[in-house]
Amino acid sequence: MGLTVTHIAAGVSLAHARMTTLEQELNMADSRLGDGDTGGMLRRVLDLMAEQRMDGIDDVGVSLGILAKAAAAATGSSLGTLLATGLLTMSKRTKGRAEVPWSELAPLLEQARDAVMARGGAKLGDKTVVDALDAVSSALAGAGDQAAIRSRAVAACDEALVRFRNEPCRMGRARMYAEKSIGMDDPGMLAFARLTAGICQRDRDVGS
Amino acid sequence: MKKLINDPAHYVDEMLDGLCAAHPSLTRDGPAGRVIRRTEGARAGKVGIVTGGGSGHLPLFTGYVGPGLVDACSIGNVFEGPTVDSCIAAIKAADGGRGVLRLYGNYGGDRMNFDMAGEFLEDDGLELSTVLGTDDIASAAPDERNRRRGVAGIVYAYKIAGARADEGASLAEVTAAAAKAVERTRTIGCALSSCQIPGAAEPSFRIAPGEMEMGIGIHGEPGIWRDTLKPADAVVDEMVDRLLAERPEGSGRRVSVLVNSLGATPLEELFILYRRLAARLDKAGLTVVQPLVGPYVTSMEMAGVSLSLCFLDEELERLLAAPASCPFWKVG
Repeated sequence: MGLTVTHIAAGVSLAHARMTTLEQELNMADSRLGDGDTGGMLRRVLDLMAEQRMDGIDDVGVSLGILAKAAAAATGSSLGTLLATGLLTMSKRTKGRAEVPWSELAPLLEQARDAVMARGGAKLGDKTVVDALDAVSSALAGAGDQAAIRSRAVAACDEALVRFRNEPCRMGRARMYAEKSIGMDDPGMLAFARLTAGICQRDRDVGS
Repeated sequence: MKKLINDPAHYVDEMLDGLCAAHPSLTRDGPAGRVIRRTEGARAGKVGIVTGGGSGHLPLFTGYVGPGLVDACSIGNVFEGPTVDSCIAAIKAADGGRGVLRLYGNYGGDRMNFDMAGEFLEDDGLELSTVLGTDDIASAAPDERNRRRGVAGIVYAYKIAGARADEGASLAEVTAAAAKAVERTRTIGCALSSCQIPGAAEPSFRIAPGEMEMGIGIHGEPGIWRDTLKPADAVVDEMVDRLLAERPEGSGRRVSVLVNSLGATPLEELFILYRRLAARLDKAGLTVVQPLVGPYVTSMEMAGVSLSLCFLDEELERLLAAPASCPFWKVG
């Protein structure tokens, strides 16, 4: 077994549910380094993603493409646009397939990471969502089952948050206050970590 | 923080409905109505100018759609970039057949979506160019000017590029005029209080009573320092000193100034600031041309001000004085 549209739909549902408590946490994190709207923006993105009907769709690429379009339609923010970019990249790589082996998740995320870097201009180490994405894609290398993916992804996000917390931001508006950003989580990285945990720690009912 | 709204989810759309109802020269268009264009449409044979950005800054960006200014604008949610589909629709709406200049502030989401829109439109044979507003001197060092934010000074680029396009100039010439306006404009802002995004539980940031912050961005991005609120003259003196320290090489003695309210600061206080600013510039040997005082680029209900200096040459001064009209600014 591998990744199917059922998993993707369940993941969206879990991420959407997680936003009820995550929205204000992300707004607060963003207000320290940015304009304080990351949570509200992501809630709107996930609201629209959750509205997308996946009934009758069994193509992984098509379903990811639908989510990418929803993200792009919901916001033009940098984080939302990067999310759409990553999803679109994964959609193109999986089109025509009803199931993608779990072992392919790591290379798929690597390709998404590269596309996000190309679109947004961030480099590894800049303390952005790219670093969280990179940490997870690296951690998943060789993981062939859902249980391993869950635990490795959550651990990788946590480690990335801890590793970068005391680093300065080098990208986006927070780069201008690099010293002030030390000791704080990048809101995009935090969002990625929290949503990853929300999906991985609550998706045990989804068939493997 | 109290707001006269119905539902945070409808904040932007209801605002746009009201804006267009009050100003029939503007029309909503594009996906989800998130494009504002000139009702009369793009003028055939004229280079189009398109802009875009987040809501929450009126009159920026949608308010500057009009003759002698910009032709269309894509609008995002509050403090968010416009979507790529809105950018595509706005570029198409601005197209009069001689190419379109994308003129907007240097922010990640705006940049990404206008870039993507350009990639989608490449196959249509549309000629595009880009100029980014980068006038905020507090947001990066002089040797990294291309990384600076675009704030209130972008209205000079709108005016100058719009006038050049109305003269019948080519896309390259309009682009060069806009780039020159950006290159010769410097802005710095300071805030006395924060704003709150509709639907957010808290203000974007907090400034204690009796404090101010110098160098703050129009989304509440942290500034250079935060300290006790100073008298108006002292605030202007520091801002002018910082702006004049970045006077462009080869600039002359004529300068336009913009004293801009960030939303909650009243005109009375702006004129108190202008009084000192004019005196300081006169002392520096500069002649003020066409001063602008008022809310030109706001940050919702943030209290504070930004000062912009546009260092003019003969071409910029001529273009700045050319006729233009939009709901919030009329020249000639």
